[in-house]
Amino acid sequence: MKNRVFRYSLTILLSHFLVYPLFSQESKPLVNATLKGTVIDSLTKEPIEGVTIQLQGVTHSLKSDVHGNFQIVTGQKLPLTILLSSLGYSSKTIVANQPEISIVLQPSSDRLEEMVVVGYGTQRRRDLTGSVARLDAAEVNKIPVASFDAQLQGKLPGVQVVTNSGVPGESIFLRVRGTTSINSSSDPLYIVDGVFLNNTSLQTIGLGGRTSSPLTDINPADIESIEVLKDASATAIYGSRGANGVIIITTKKGSYGTKTKIDVNVLGGWAEANKALLPKLASGPETATLANEWWINSGLDNPALNQTFANRPFRPISEGGRGNPEDQETFDRLGFLLRNGKLQDYSVGVQGGGDRSRFYIGAGYTGQEAFIKVIDFSRANLKFNFDHQLSDRVKIGLTNNFSRTYRNQARTGDGPQVSLFNSAISSATNIPIFTEDGAVNGVDNTYTLVDNYDVNTTSLRYIGSAFAEIDLWKGLKLRSTFSADYNLYDESQYWNSKTSIGIANANQATSGISRNSTWINEQILSYQTNIGQHQLSALIGNTLQSNTFDYAYLEGNGFANDSYKLISSAATVRGSESWSKYTISSFFGRVGYNYADRYFAEATLRTDGSSKFGANNRWGYFPAFSLGWRLSEEQFLSSADWLNEFKIRGSYGITGNQAGISNFAARGLWSGDASYANIHGTPLPGVGPFQLGNDNLRWERTAQTDLGVDIALFDHRLGITVDLYHKYTSDLLLEQPIQGTSGFSDYWANVGEISNKGYEFLLNAVNIRNQNFTWNTSINISGNRNNIEYLPSQITQYTRDWVILKEGHSLNSFWLYEQLYVDPQTGDAVFDGQLADGSLPTSARKVFRNAYPKFYGGIGNTFTYKQFDLGVDFSFQYGNYSLNLYRYFRERNPSSGGVFENVLNRWQEPGDQTDVPRLTSVGLNYTIDANSRYLEDASFLKLRQLTFGYKLPRELAQKVGFSNARIYFLGSNLFLWSKYTGDPESNVTSNPNSQGIGSFGTPPQPRTFQLGLNVTL
Amino acid sequence: MKITTYFILFLSSLTFTSCESFLDVQPKDAVSDEVTIVDRTSAETAVRGIYSALRADGYYGYSFQILGFFSGDNIVYSGSQTVHQTLTNHSVRSDLAVLATVWNQIYHTINRANHVIAKVPTLPVTTGFTEENKNQLVGEAYFVRALAYFDLARTWGGVQLILEPTSSASSLPDLPRSTLQQTYEQVHLDLQRAEELLPATTNRIRATRQSARALLARYYLYQKNWDQAIRYASYLIEDQTNYGLVTPYHSFYSNNASNTRESVFELFYDVNNTNNQAGQWLASANGGTAWIRPSGTIFNLLTNPEIGGDRSSLVYRTATATEPNVLIGNLYYRVNRTDPAFLIRTAELYLIRAEALAERNGAGDLLAATTDLNAIRDRANVPLFTEPSNRAALILAIEQENRVEFALENHRWYDLIRTGRAQEVLNISDVNRLLLPIPFSQVAIDPNLTQNPGLD
Repeated sequence: MKNRVFRYSLTILLSHFLVYPLFSQESKPLVNATLKGTVIDSLTKEPIEGVTIQLQGVTHSLKSDVHGNFQIVTGQKLPLTILLSSLGYSSKTIVANQPEISIVLQPSSDRLEEMVVVGYGTQRRRDLTGSVARLDAAEVNKIPVASFDAQLQGKLPGVQVVTNSGVPGESIFLRVRGTTSINSSSDPLYIVDGVFLNNTSLQTIGLGGRTSSPLTDINPADIESIEVLKDASATAIYGSRGANGVIIITTKKGSYGTKTKIDVNVLGGWAEANKALLPKLASGPETATLANEWWINSGLDNPALNQTFANRPFRPISEGGRGNPEDQETFDRLGFLLRNGKLQDYSVGVQGGGDRSRFYIGAGYTGQEAFIKVIDFSRANLKFNFDHQLSDRVKIGLTNNFSRTYRNQARTGDGPQVSLFNSAISSATNIPIFTEDGAVNGVDNTYTLVDNYDVNTTSLRYIGSAFAEIDLWKGLKLRSTFSADYNLYDESQYWNSKTSIGIANANQATSGISRNSTWINEQILSYQTNIGQHQLSALIGNTLQSNTFDYAYLEGNGFANDSYKLISSAATVRGSESWSKYTISSFFGRVGYNYADRYFAEATLRTDGSSKFGANNRWGYFPAFSLGWRLSEEQFLSSADWLNEFKIRGSYGITGNQAGISNFAARGLWSGDASYANIHGTPLPGVGPFQLGNDNLRWERTAQTDLGVDIALFDHRLGITVDLYHKYTSDLLLEQPIQGTSGFSDYWANVGEISNKGYEFLLNAVNIRNQNFTWNTSINISGNRNNIEYLPSQITQYTRDWVILKEGHSLNSFWLYEQLYVDPQTGDAVFDGQLADGSLPTSARKVFRNAYPKFYGGIGNTFTYKQFDLGVDFSFQYGNYSLNLYRYFRERNPSSGGVFENVLNRWQEPGDQTDVPRLTSVGLNYTIDANSRYLEDASFLKLRQLTFGYKLPRELAQKVGFSNARIYFLGSNLFLWSKYTGDPESNVTSNPNSQGIGSFGTPPQPRTFQLGLNVTL
Repeated sequence: MKITTYFILFLSSLTFTSCESFLDVQPKDAVSDEVTIVDRTSAETAVRGIYSALRADGYYGYSFQILGFFSGDNIVYSGSQTVHQTLTNHSVRSDLAVLATVWNQIYHTINRANHVIAKVPTLPVTTGFTEENKNQLVGEAYFVRALAYFDLARTWGGVQLILEPTSSASSLPDLPRSTLQQTYEQVHLDLQRAEELLPATTNRIRATRQSARALLARYYLYQKNWDQAIRYASYLIEDQTNYGLVTPYHSFYSNNASNTRESVFELFYDVNNTNNQAGQWLASANGGTAWIRPSGTIFNLLTNPEIGGDRSSLVYRTATATEPNVLIGNLYYRVNRTDPAFLIRTAELYLIRAEALAERNGAGDLLAATTDLNAIRDRANVPLFTEPSNRAALILAIEQENRVEFALENHRWYDLIRTGRAQEVLNISDVNRLLLPIPFSQVAIDPNLTQNPGLD
């Protein structure tokens, strides 16, 4: 039971502390020499910070400080041999004869020595056999979105990032090498400093299909690097969690032996609407004209409607109408809703370390207002990381992240009622905002919603871990970690008497509190040794993880007046509760071998047991193998000076997935949510079957093959990485539809197969590098083709079945009636498959395009000229389609609310060439929900980020007391090129696997402008 | 050595056995299939579960209702799902999403009833759980199952008859569609059993012997078995202690009325389990969407004192910021959406008997039919029918009376189908359109399920 696990874990932890005294007796070191040095860049003559200085013969190393200075105190005597290495510079070994030296390092683009974080360890880039993408967080972490995942767009090959709305802090769509699943999650596994992170939104209040992102609880400013593990050899060590890729976040840790450094960053600016992406409404007179036309045409088509010119809605008031079209005014609700949203971001990072300890303390505050009223997001956080070397053999450490995020929300997205953005768009522009006596006109008017509906959430989050690591024997280490992710998510709502829900319930208040807690205990035993040219590393470990989710909800109805807002004042109160839990137990191992830094081989195996599955199939086994060969080390290529690195690598492995399905999916269950009464007025409990069981339910499995090449040319100035992959997912965890006659519509089963085939291309180039000017370019392009290989019965998704899953087609394909053209003679829409009698059978509805891009990526250029720097980052997607729901809803009956300008292009008289059919309620023109006319090409290219900075000359900065100071401008989403009407990335469904349901009620992403100041003390 | 000891401890803890219990997590708000109906309490909760399915959104709470609403000529749809207008235009395609919702929910209800029918009779009789207790519970399940197959038959025609509970996905029945006649025979069989098993009590929100008889009266009317229809309708009309027409008309629903003498069978809702069609009837000023509205024609009929009389209380006219002229139905008006769903009212039994008498046309039948019809007219304060000898006019008057008496209840479409008048009255040229298409998604996964002729 649980207690047993706890006891066992405690034993492990305690054992470290019992062992520790054995090693802690040491003698005080003897000081024989002190060496002071400064490291300087050969081109710019600037001091270099963070150079690793390794004294020969000892295991400790230290780093140069922000002034390039270091100091070695040692028992050795002069002369001392020291090795200097730093990413971006050629390494150098020097022999110091005097106690004070100055060392010059040559810049280099060689990244082979870079340490890359992989599953349960780090590896030199040179030694990697898997596909791992790495990003220095500093490249993107100023973009004003609330979470680091949204900052990744266009930066990493194989990682597709789509920001579904312009509301700060909402969930985004991120895929590593395509979507592998239908009903379970296709999100990658997120790991922060070893803690498996919950990235499922705890939002329960319906926000029209929008959810908040739990990843916003982490301040991007605390992140050092982001690694994305993509192929099976890299992810299989995470077994059942690895099928969708793994994103490893490493936060700043400080370094041993450096002077304390304080970084302060202040950013401020604003977010505004990109007007070109906002819906364009017809004016009041235009709306009225269209409404009359609709009325009269419908009457002509169906005389029974009794709709004629004489009784058209917009006729003179004297005739009982609403006034002629030309007499209508135009009222602008959207203008009222828009604002310049204030953006602010402050962060302080303090890092440093002594001989035996290192630390990082980060504190930050971020405030982001949306460009539509009311909505804002803010986060305050504190980060504390600390490591301490208890003895030469024992190390302990902590990572901690505390944060509080607060969201002032509003409903955006789906739903006509109480949706803030929609309320401004879906009201016809000729309808006055205020009545003649000055009151707000109509229920849930934009003006009402802004002031009378409160919805906000507070998320309190702790993510942290404690570890102890013991050097048991030469190269043999045992590490034990306890980590936790605890999230308290508190949502509250209040609808006052001016809102529709307030009216219906005499005001309504709700309070929901979710608690999500995960604890993980992990043991890892690792071993590393070199025998001549042979390098061997091995690792075994186990993990126990438990996740508990519970939720309590209270709703109060009936308040005395708008001043009473707490449920305690409500006349009636109702509540509900839910609870759920899963556990996973895992064992894993990895063996790596490398001969002469030339041939590499690695094998991993993981087994996971999950409580989610039936007893028959609880355990899954996930193996992977990989090989690497650095041809550039071979004799036959040694003469090619221009070729610095040429490595080919390949891997094959199997990973699994179980995330996103119900914790009790395998069980046959009766739910208690079926009450009824015996006698009128007294509800009593009732039960009924709600889930069919499946004892054989098991893991979803993804087999992945990857072939990759890494090339570095011309003194490492040109780097190219190309990967080809094939992912094949079988045993899909599917809510398999079954005959309704069974009393169920579906049940959880392992049915279906999906493939993802793709390529990734990454090019990094140092185009120019000299004393005053540098120009670097980075280009990445990735393509993925998704295909449902096997699915016994088609499945439709979303209301009106707009999306279909069908064998032989990609996921997120649309299911539509294709409008071929509008007959220039009659003005009627003509559909593919329409019968001679004009009717349109279901068999004419076809699978039609999909929401995934053919390729996507980014292009980044950075320039520095003396003290100036400029960064220009583009991101793009090509070949994806999106169903523009806003057009679907607002390019229909013009008498039922706001009408888009595009309807003015409707067919009016014979000979008109248009794709907007004749206005009428009769026939197919406007009654086909699934009309291809609303499907648009949503390819785009956008200027994602533009930075322009000026770094104060060092002398000047130091005069005012800083080591470094930089002032900069940062703009995001400045320009967008797309054929799509609206924001091509917008997506309105909360189904995390869904894409391409566009625009409806969703504010587009903002343009932002910020000025920042970064100083280092 | 100490390290070795701990290391061995570490490795020895890596055994699967210790983990099996760690991996055993039980849900807290649901129970396993096998332990659901074991005694009186659990049998009673399972029966309440049947009603809960019957009143759910997918059935009488909303979706089933709108199929009939919009197919008839009393009620129109004005919401955003314009495709619902295909019901009104009689051009429904099988991919209309609400078809599958209703289909699944009706069979879901049937499955719940099947569990009770299969399991309760096997439970041991104890002092606290008598044979009568068991009969009542099983009788209720038969009643609901009969109602469910009745609704399937009159909407889609003959369907697959599932009479056993579903225990696993691997044991799904492999059955062709039954004929319409076979389906109705099953309804008949279940109702007869219900009549026999159910107690002769009065409970308007649960099935009793009298509610089974009321449904049997409706059944016989559909079957044109006039003698039996008259007989069964009379059981209720004559039970004047418990059932009767309430006056004025609106008193069976207005001022938060429910459970009145008028009601033979209604579904109970409370604030935690709301009647969600109400939200679509309510005007926006009352927190609704007003997507379901009375048609202009029925509005005029109801507000005509000669025809609608007191039944004009069912509708009113209002204006919103965007629409100067909105017709609102007032049968579902409670802002907290606890309106009952009225399934069988005493008024229906009067009109059933009137129609059966007029159709049978035996000695004195027309006069008796006129009396029954006039009971309804009198209650609504409209002029009485005065030509008992004119049989054709009488039958038409009964049809008209059904239309206005149940203006906002789910009768009109099925009445016109039943009498064979739908094509003429609703101007439907294609006879196949008198049934709705089987949901596309169901035809796609069940090879036994053939589509209705001429539909797609």
